[in-house]
Amino acid sequence: MIARLLRAALPPAIVVIALIAAWDIAVRLMQPSEYLVPAPLAVARAFLEQRAELVPAALRTAGSAAAGFAIAAAAGVLAGSVLAASRFLMRGLYPLATLLQMVPLVAIAPILVIWCGYGPRTSIASAAIVSVFPVLAATLDGMRSTDPGLAELFGVCRASRLQRWWKLELPWAMPSIVTGLRIAAGLSVVGAIVGEIVGAFAGDASPIGIIILSAMRENRTDLVFASVALAAAAGFALFGLVSLLGWSLLRRWHASAG
Amino acid sequence: MVTSIHRRAACVLAATLCGALALAIPAGAQDAKPALRKVRLQLNWVPEPEFGGIYAARQDGLFAAEGLDVEVISGAAGTPVPQMTASGQVEFGVVSGDQVLTLRERGGSLVALFTVFHTSPMGVMVPEASPHRSLESLWKSDATVAMEAGLPFVRYLNKRFPGGKVKLVPTGTGLAAFERGTVQAQQCFITAEPVQLELRKVPVRVFSLAEGGYDPYTVSIATSEAFLAKDRAACAAFVRALRKGWASYLKEPAKYNPSIHKLNPAMSLEAMDLAARKQHDLVAPRTGDEVGWMERGRWVTLAGQLKELGTLKEQPAVIDAVFWNAPR
Repeated sequence: MIARLLRAALPPAIVVIALIAAWDIAVRLMQPSEYLVPAPLAVARAFLEQRAELVPAALRTAGSAAAGFAIAAAAGVLAGSVLAASRFLMRGLYPLATLLQMVPLVAIAPILVIWCGYGPRTSIASAAIVSVFPVLAATLDGMRSTDPGLAELFGVCRASRLQRWWKLELPWAMPSIVTGLRIAAGLSVVGAIVGEIVGAFAGDASPIGIIILSAMRENRTDLVFASVALAAAAGFALFGLVSLLGWSLLRRWHASAG
Repeated sequence: MVTSIHRRAACVLAATLCGALALAIPAGAQDAKPALRKVRLQLNWVPEPEFGGIYAARQDGLFAAEGLDVEVISGAAGTPVPQMTASGQVEFGVVSGDQVLTLRERGGSLVALFTVFHTSPMGVMVPEASPHRSLESLWKSDATVAMEAGLPFVRYLNKRFPGGKVKLVPTGTGLAAFERGTVQAQQCFITAEPVQLELRKVPVRVFSLAEGGYDPYTVSIATSEAFLAKDRAACAAFVRALRKGWASYLKEPAKYNPSIHKLNPAMSLEAMDLAARKQHDLVAPRTGDEVGWMERGRWVTLAGQLKELGTLKEQPAVIDAVFWNAPR
């Protein structure tokens, strides 16, 4: 298991190290001002100096993203299942659901503040809105591709609607749902940060979005990079957790978990 | 017959040549005028009366009279004007005094050339019915205040009124949260948000930060050290046109506001006229100085304050390198 994980982690780790080395060499050669492109070491220094503020901030952002993601996952699977059950509902509501994906989040984020108030609720709502559509679309596609032969068999066996959903359609759609959840995991961090930029409390309990805003205002590009790296790490962690969950659900029976 | 045709053709050719020559002479004379020097000025906000003198200079042809063709580029919240100016993407940019000093510390060599407001219009507004009668009372309460994170005056207020319990939130909702009472106070430009609220019959009380002891040059026009060194004459010409433009705008804002309104129809003409009246005393020189003139002592004070607040690691070694007043 550990050997497999190492094998999986090695190629991206090599790429990341190579990119950081290239970045460092480019900065040394071109010597841009620190406010334009900081050196990797300057970013690391900013992280170490501000870690007492940055790490809790990243955890707050990750918490909001995870909560938004959980809401989006539940709502997406439920809504996808309902739409898959009725052709009429699907035709009527799916185009409206796609609007969720097209709404510019930056434009509606201030309205979310008015509806949800300042604090994590706005970030959670923002994360949920931005990440619900991939889950919904993946669930719908997965369920609509259920094997018609098996559906007929469930009909012959007089399975109830709920039994058919639980024992046939949901497992059948699971690989597709896991893919949707993976996409949504990364998006939820983006959504949470957008929500924080318009509606989070600053001060001792600042999340990453506020630290980014503040660092930009103070021309602290090194701190902006450090904050963005932490936000990316939070997104990566969430993505990893979802992938692990998907793998544990699918490993016994689906080739995608191989 | 053939000779006659040749003669006629020769006449037509001669007339054409004469005509072309006649047309070419004035065109040549026009070309003899020196071409206008193209420069860009990046604003940090949408066109509003706080930039009135710039638009007045453009409308009255004052930039052109100084040999400049100035492209004024509208900005928005978050436009990185200091970085764009320091890196030479634009020749001139609208920044604040603290941005000049902080960016210089990080390698961005900005030089302030002109300041619109000699007294900072920054303030904090509360509803007229608010129990808070001073900045101190507000800052020591547990009110929710909409204020841009990272602004030096937040540190200033924290230091000046220690033990404050206010909760700070971003200003991204515009005035909606303030009007609904979701936030109990909001940062403002004395000449902007309170004006809009006054016109909507929402009475507010404004605490001036300048009166509270923090008075940086706000809405300053800066260039990069490199551009100033390369083309000091263009910088001086630009400032001369700005001074004249602002003098004209201060005298007669109503003449210029319609052209600003065309560029920013979201702000009514009535609001622009009111804003122009409110900003007059913050822009018009108090002494015999020119509009936009900067005092060395103000920069020294600001650098000292920013160092004390921890925004600057060190005070600039040579404060005179931070700003340049073009000769009168």
